[in-house]
This record gives sequence, structure tokens and C-alpha cells, in this order.
Amino acid sequence: MSDAQTGTTEVRHIKHEAVPTRFARGWHCIGLEKDFKDGKPHSIEAFGTKLVVWADSQGELKVLDGYCRHMGGDLSQGTVKGDEVACPFHDWRWGGDGRCKQIPYSRRVPLRARTRTWHAMTQDGMVFVWHDHEGNPPIAEQAIPAIEGGPSDPTWTDWAWAQTVVDTNCREIIDNVVDMAHFFYVHHAFPTYFKNTFEGHTATQLQKGVNRDDMRPAEVAIGAPKRLGNTSVATYHGPSFMIDDLIYHYEHGDTRTVLINCHYPIDENSFVLMYGISMQRPEVEDDDPAAAEALAAKMVATVRLGFEQDVEIWRNKTRIDNPLLCEEDGPVYQVRRWYEQFYVDVADVRAEMTDRFEFELDTAKPIEAWQREVDENVARRAAEAAEAAALQPQDA
Amino acid sequence: MGVRPDNRLADAPMHPVACASCAGRVLVRKASWHQTSVQWTDEAQAACTSWSPGSAVLGFPPVCDRLRTSIADAVLDGTLPVVGDEQ
Repeated sequence: MSDAQTGTTEVRHIKHEAVPTRFARGWHCIGLEKDFKDGKPHSIEAFGTKLVVWADSQGELKVLDGYCRHMGGDLSQGTVKGDEVACPFHDWRWGGDGRCKQIPYSRRVPLRARTRTWHAMTQDGMVFVWHDHEGNPPIAEQAIPAIEGGPSDPTWTDWAWAQTVVDTNCREIIDNVVDMAHFFYVHHAFPTYFKNTFEGHTATQLQKGVNRDDMRPAEVAIGAPKRLGNTSVATYHGPSFMIDDLIYHYEHGDTRTVLINCHYPIDENSFVLMYGISMQRPEVEDDDPAAAEALAAKMVATVRLGFEQDVEIWRNKTRIDNPLLCEEDGPVYQVRRWYEQFYVDVADVRAEMTDRFEFELDTAKPIEAWQREVDENVARRAAEAAEAAALQPQDA
Repeated sequence: MGVRPDNRLADAPMHPVACASCAGRVLVRKASWHQTSVQWTDEAQAACTSWSPGSAVLGFPPVCDRLRTSIADAVLDGTLPVVGDEQ
């Protein structure tokens, strides 16, 4: 029974607890492998601290706590010397195993000269760091699957990649996976089919959509070909790394892409959002061999616009633990229940967080309402264009 | 942390549905004929005999068609209420 039906006048209050001080357990992508392999140490602010990432002489990426255990120097501002990272403050040399290997001005290294190491791995051109608040090694079942297609396949383009800092808790972006209606109102998309499935450490969104006739001008403005619709199967593998098999349907046929949507928390109130696109090259290659790369870059630019639309919402909204959902909303509570498994101790993961849950939306009413809105927009623009044409002074 | 209950379940909770072709029992809620929520358990998944993994490329979700049929039958025979029908 709704308030309208029962006649109650009680006001519903928004509730939210403080953001968790922990960070999610799982693999977090921190960027592209090639960007870390330039012989320099790199600074990553993540999980409420600072990490240093560098490649040893074999090209293997190593990750340590960023602050030198000697006097707190920032290792990421130092240099790579051999296999080790050297602190800029006093040149202490730290190995990828977390041990201080050498202090050039000292006869010997003190006992307990050991810092925190972070498990890292590279796959499909990306670098991943494992975070676990309990300090345990990576969980085998949570391994990130290899991508089908993508840059490791020569018939696909390299990653077109971008990143941005978002100043809110990262639960907001997780909510998006179940939020069908925001795709229409925030991203000007038009979903026609929407289903979520949560199971184990994965959360999937299957979405099909058509393009909006009232949004064609934006498409034309960036020179993109006319798109009819899309089919998207997007899965979070763990708390922060989504692989989206995204197929665009054009008048001339389908284009297969893989969209990566991933993030890592800087602290509890901000995160680094990263996204990348790889596209299957057209079978008939363009005269310009870089045409596919250029198109992928254009696609990532549109993804950037999409995330900017999200960020604008997040910048102004409040955190809400008790969202008031209608029947045409997705399973917000259930995706949060799934997400919670990454924040509790492993021993406290409950079956309800990982048991399979399916939610298929009824899109009949949304489609009806949205089609009417699109038709009205098209009609209004046509009327405005006709009016503007009538006001144009006629040439004598 | 702790996650609150879905406000939509307060008036219309999940209902048990038994699959007609295996020993699987799940919880189901239907807000309308086309909306379906299914809560599986490990036991139900272990019992399922006709699981289809679906296809990411083709956009087919993994699904059990026999359970789907059992859910539809439960609506038709009146054992599974549809929320929208009550109004």
C-alpha cells in the first residue's frame, strides 16, 4: 500500500550511515601496463594510503607501500635502481619482496627492514592490485577472467583509455549496475530490456536498448554513424572491475566492443574511475589503418560524456541507505547486499550475499512513457525549427 | 555496514516455487507478468538439471527454462501472486 492509498501523511526520511572505513576486498585495476613500464616509480593513491609501482629489470611490476620505513620518504618520487626502488630521501633500496636490500651509506641493513607488499598481476594489458583488509592473499575464485577479444586479439584495437577522479564513495557507481531508469534520464539512452544476476563475486547486467530519435543531433555533432541500438552484457568480477561485452547495432551491421569500467578507491570519499574500449576491427579495413583506433577513441569520448553525466548527479546527491523504490526500479538493495561481501571479513560472508539472485525488469511501462517523451521532443523540435524558418527574413 | 530490506518486499514478499522438473526450490516475486525476481540457494542450483549458460555475445542470460515455465505455471494456477494484479 502506498501513502496515497492509505492516506498516511508521515514524511519519509532519508537515512544513511557513515561511509565504511574499510575498502573492498578484491582485484582493483590501477591502469594500463604500458604506462607503468617506463623505468620510473609510479605513485598510486589508493585504499587510504600511497603505493609505489615500478617494473624490475625483468619487466615484472612490483607494488609496495609508498612510504619508506626509514624516515617516511615517498618512494614513488625516487628512482628505479636495478630491481629496486630507491628512496629520494636517503637512497634506501627496496626490493619487490618488501625487503630493504641495501643502504649505500650503511654497513648493514637493520633488522625488520621490511615493508608492506601488494599482490599485483597484469592481464590483457592492465595492471591489477589485490586489496584485502584482512591481509590475506588473492582468492583464486576471484581471478579476473581473460577477455574474449580485446587488445590481446590482433583483430581488435588497443585500449582507448581514460581516467578521472570522482569525489564520492564508490558505492554510487555500483548502484548504477541495477539502475535502468537513469540510463534514460541521465544518459539519454533508451533501455528496452534489463536484467540483473548476482552470483558469487559476480554481478551482471544484461541490457538491450534502442537509440533515441530525439538525441540524433548529439550523435551527428560528434560525427558518429547512425546507431540503431545496443546489446550489452556487463559483469562486475569482484567489487570494482567490470567487463562489458557491448555490441552496437548500426544500419550497416554490428560492431563488437569490450568496454572496461573499473575503479579503485583513493579513500572512503573519492575514487579513481577508469574506462577503456577495445573494438573489433571492421572486416573490410578502411583505407586508413588507424580508422578503427580513431573510432574507438571517439567511442571512449562518448563514454567519458556518460560518466560526466553520472558525476554531475553524484556531486549533488546525498548518500541514501533506504532508497524508496518503485516496481520499475532495479534491485538496488540486492546489489548492495552482494557488494557487502567485499567489506566484511571472509568469515562473515553470508550465503545471502553470494547466492544467485535474478531480477528481470518489466520494461512495458518505461518504454511507453519514454517513447511518448521522445515523440514529444521530436515534434517540439520540428515545430521550433519551422517557427525559426518562418521568422527568417526572406531574400528580396 | 548492513543492508536494509527492500521496501518493495514489505507489502509483497518472495514466495516459494518448486521446479516441476527437478528438486529445486526457489523464492520468487513477480511485480507483474513480465517482472520476475528469483532467489536461488546452493541447494536449488545443485538440483537444477537444465541450466543454460547463455551467451554474452548474443545477449542471452544464463537461465533455466524449466524453472521459468514452472514460475509461469505457478502464476497461472494461482499459487504465485502477481503484485500488480492486486490493485
